[in-house]
Amino acid sequence: METLKSALDFSDFPRLDLVVAGSLAILFLIFPVFPHSSFAMATMIQFLMFSLYGMGWNTIGGYGGQVDLGKAQYVGIGAYTTTVMLVRWDIPFWFSMPVGVCFAVLWSFVLGYPLFRLKGHYFAIATIATSLVLKDLFEVWDFVGAARGLEISPIKFPPPDFLRLIFKEDVYYYDVILGFFFVGILYMNWFRKSRLGFQLRAIKDNEEVARSLGINVHWAKIKTYAIATAFVSVVGSFHACYIKNIEPEDTMSLDISILIALMAMLGGAGSLWGPIIGAGILIPLKSYLKEWLGATAGLIGIDLILYALIIMVISAFEPRGIWGIVQKVRRRRQ
Amino acid sequence: MEILLSALVSGLLLGLVLALVALGLTIIFGVMDIVNFAHGEFLMVGMYTGLLTAQGLGIDPLLTLPVAGAVGFLLGIVCYFGFIKFLLRGPMVAQLLGTFGLMLFLRNLALLIFGSEDRALHHGLLVGKSFDIGMGVIVSATKLAAAGLSVAAFVAVWLFMNRTRIGKALTATALNRSAARYMGIPTERMNALAWGAGGASVTIAGALIVNFWSVNPFIGLLFTMIAFAIVALGGFGSVPGAFFAGLVVGLIMEIPGFWDFFMFTFNADWMAKVPMTSFKYMWVYLAYFVIMVVRPRGLFGWKH
Amino acid sequence: MKSAIRLGMVVVSVLAVIGLMAPVGALAAEAVKIGVIYPLTGGAAAEGRELRAGAELAAEIINAVYKNISMDMAKSQGIKSLGSAKIELVFKDHEGNPTLGADLAKKLILDDKVVGIMGCYHSAVTKTVSAVCEQYGVPMINDSSTSPDLTKRGFKWFWRTTPHDTTFTTDLFNFLKGLTEGKAKGVKAVPKAQIQNLASACEKTEWGSNVSALIESFAKEYGFTVKKSILYAAKSTDLSSEVGSLKAVKPDVMLFASYASDAILMLKTLKAQKAQPKVLWGQDAGFEAPEFKDTLRDDIVGVLTRTVFLPKVASVKKVAGEVDGFYQKKVGHSLSGASARAFTGVQAWAAVLEKAGSTKPADIQKAANAIKIPADQLIVPWQGIQFATSGEDIGQNILGSGMIGQYQKDKDGKISLEIAYPFDLATANLIFPFPGY
Repeated sequence: METLKSALDFSDFPRLDLVVAGSLAILFLIFPVFPHSSFAMATMIQFLMFSLYGMGWNTIGGYGGQVDLGKAQYVGIGAYTTTVMLVRWDIPFWFSMPVGVCFAVLWSFVLGYPLFRLKGHYFAIATIATSLVLKDLFEVWDFVGAARGLEISPIKFPPPDFLRLIFKEDVYYYDVILGFFFVGILYMNWFRKSRLGFQLRAIKDNEEVARSLGINVHWAKIKTYAIATAFVSVVGSFHACYIKNIEPEDTMSLDISILIALMAMLGGAGSLWGPIIGAGILIPLKSYLKEWLGATAGLIGIDLILYALIIMVISAFEPRGIWGIVQKVRRRRQ
Repeated sequence: MEILLSALVSGLLLGLVLALVALGLTIIFGVMDIVNFAHGEFLMVGMYTGLLTAQGLGIDPLLTLPVAGAVGFLLGIVCYFGFIKFLLRGPMVAQLLGTFGLMLFLRNLALLIFGSEDRALHHGLLVGKSFDIGMGVIVSATKLAAAGLSVAAFVAVWLFMNRTRIGKALTATALNRSAARYMGIPTERMNALAWGAGGASVTIAGALIVNFWSVNPFIGLLFTMIAFAIVALGGFGSVPGAFFAGLVVGLIMEIPGFWDFFMFTFNADWMAKVPMTSFKYMWVYLAYFVIMVVRPRGLFGWKH
Repeated sequence: MKSAIRLGMVVVSVLAVIGLMAPVGALAAEAVKIGVIYPLTGGAAAEGRELRAGAELAAEIINAVYKNISMDMAKSQGIKSLGSAKIELVFKDHEGNPTLGADLAKKLILDDKVVGIMGCYHSAVTKTVSAVCEQYGVPMINDSSTSPDLTKRGFKWFWRTTPHDTTFTTDLFNFLKGLTEGKAKGVKAVPKAQIQNLASACEKTEWGSNVSALIESFAKEYGFTVKKSILYAAKSTDLSSEVGSLKAVKPDVMLFASYASDAILMLKTLKAQKAQPKVLWGQDAGFEAPEFKDTLRDDIVGVLTRTVFLPKVASVKKVAGEVDGFYQKKVGHSLSGASARAFTGVQAWAAVLEKAGSTKPADIQKAANAIKIPADQLIVPWQGIQFATSGEDIGQNILGSGMIGQYQKDKDGKISLEIAYPFDLATANLIFPFPGY
């Protein structure tokens, strides 16, 4: 009860934030009612998925300050667990998703223990390495389809099927991921005020001091890493049912890992709204820039050039991300 | 035996080439403690420079090395003053993000200008030549040249860092930035120099390896990853470390060859079934991970 | 600083204008829209360009009257049964990425309201795109993906014009068998022991891994030994350990399934390591991309590739010659296997629409299942196009066939593909064994 109360309590934010967030939430809820293109819908789903990925990343990367560039392996674990269980034994999504989370969390403990002996760049690059190792293994593992990947056939699993999360129209997927999204926000709101949340911020500020305060630094990091993993794995499972075809190159590539971190860092790591802002800006930007400039105008790559420039400018001039800019403006007003 | 020898030789040669690629990264990292995600893209720039200069002027690709070096030096300096300088003020998160943005920028600029096709050199003193050095070992001429250059470059950089005034200033900056500043070393200029030298060394490597590998805009990231592994294995910032780590990584990438050797020696059929070639990068990453955890300083590192 | 900002704003606004203007051109009256998803960028961009040019040429011939091309579709403007409606191809670029392909398919179906879909070259992408089409009940004709599994999924909205790899691999082994029986033009019977040992290296996604499995099973059937089969990543920058591993087993025959950039890299590495196979065969794709020939030049004399079309067909088949001439005028070089198949794919679409007389999916489905395009209409040397409606290969064109070509140097020093199989169509003496480096 206490937990729920804390999760629902947003009172430490300025009123303006809450008004904006609230109206956006309502907008998201009624979005499917408005006439929209399937492209807009797909972009929205992508945005919600990456917001959730970003929220997960934000626990360890933002609050904990441990830059993790290997989240794709957990996307893969979630996606593969769901798909393999569905395709091989017809176990529906709502059962396989928690199993996927268990696998992912177990794996995160196995890796987290040695990983968190490293710091800074060393940690960041080691996470990339672990993710790539797992990807290479999946690419030769025949049980999970090796590099060919696995397909959820539309004939064997006809839509609509809520239990297996197989739909034809994207709007159902939208509803499901929007549900996850709200739960995710509430969880993050609780997390940032939880004991672990405060411990993490202490660790981020100064590990030595945190240790002298009696915080078990190593264990706190591992726990948070597992939480981040769980988030990512849930969305990974969702991704599998949404895309209906997974392969290592698609779910576990380095690009995904980096994109996840990028969203959160750009939006503002270590703040509740950061990852959402990051995904909310980058995902539509990426989709629409590509649509308008890339293929149609024949200027291949120009979309990503603009995208890269934005990243460069923000990282050079406001390293705390877009949320940092907002706060700076606000402070100046006051 | 033949297989073992050729695996050994080709692993060592590849290792030298990869060490050359990683040299620039280790200079930059050593001096300013920043991970450059765009390193592989610098290599790509070098490869395109070598290719286009050779084709445009109709000269032998080997003569393009100084051009590529100059381009790389300028690129490094421009990147430093135009961008990296600002990143250094921010936290590590911003540095990762920023150099990642730089990587994306260079890669897609190349895509816009050159298109996504592979391009390769057809003519040149070394292109496509290889000799049989006996015992069934065949060595490609370009790889041999690249390996030779690699050794020369490492010796040169080592001498530069340890014997010249500027080099010593660089080393001092790397060891302790604020102390170096108190000693009157212009650390800002040292940083720029590190970026210039790092850029030049990697673009020269690029202009050389374009003699045997084709180039496309997406080629960078894989090399960045391998260079990271080499630099970390050798110890961040250690020049001799990068050299030996390069050799180790080259040999690791030849594991499939060694595997074949054992397969034939013991006549083990089950060994043929294992898709060893699919794992060639995995061993590199795994070795990197293990070394990092067991010995975070790397094999020769002095900085942690 | 100020001027920099101003410059930036100018650049951005120019780009925005370009972006806004681009989609306007796509408005044409009452055209039948077909979504075409190809790899226009990425590793297979060269093939993508070929495919696109082939498809565009077909649309051009359909939409206007060309007296000098003896095809039914050249004789009228647009689709007659649809009131001379023109065909409009809406191209999308999947970059070789299956997920992106599926997204694009959804977009084409829901936003662009296309009547049908064609593509996608990469079997892995065709797999996801066809699944989307199946879900939405939108017909898809696949012109260029050859993984046999694609038509084994029981889909009702998926048809494939090109023969698939089972056919091609059978051709390969019949060719090898023919070689031992002295059937190959200009080559005496080769003792089987001389070409007994095979080794294969295939790219590791849907297409390549299927080819690899097929080679193993056919080798067993025909009594050859596969000494080594490797799967590799098409995006590799270095294939020396793969080639080393192949060379280690000293194979007589080397078989490949590669896309363009990796095929080039593979051959270069083979040359650098002085590999000495007696037969070197590639499963189409990269081995017949124009840049394969342009990049490697003399090094590929003697290399074999399976294909469905090679320029020599133009000299034996009238329609092929006419279309090839037109294509050469437009693009500057001869049709390849990729462009010929894309052409045939669009042609099949036109024929299906003509027969359906409507753009309703159900009518198209019925028409596609009943269609029969005779051989004299096609530029490819098949017996025609007719889709299987039952059995385990539903939607597969049962009249397709493959060929094997060999790169040879003619008198002027130009390198071109000669027909090596079927043996009775052979246009030149086979070069055997592979001359090596």
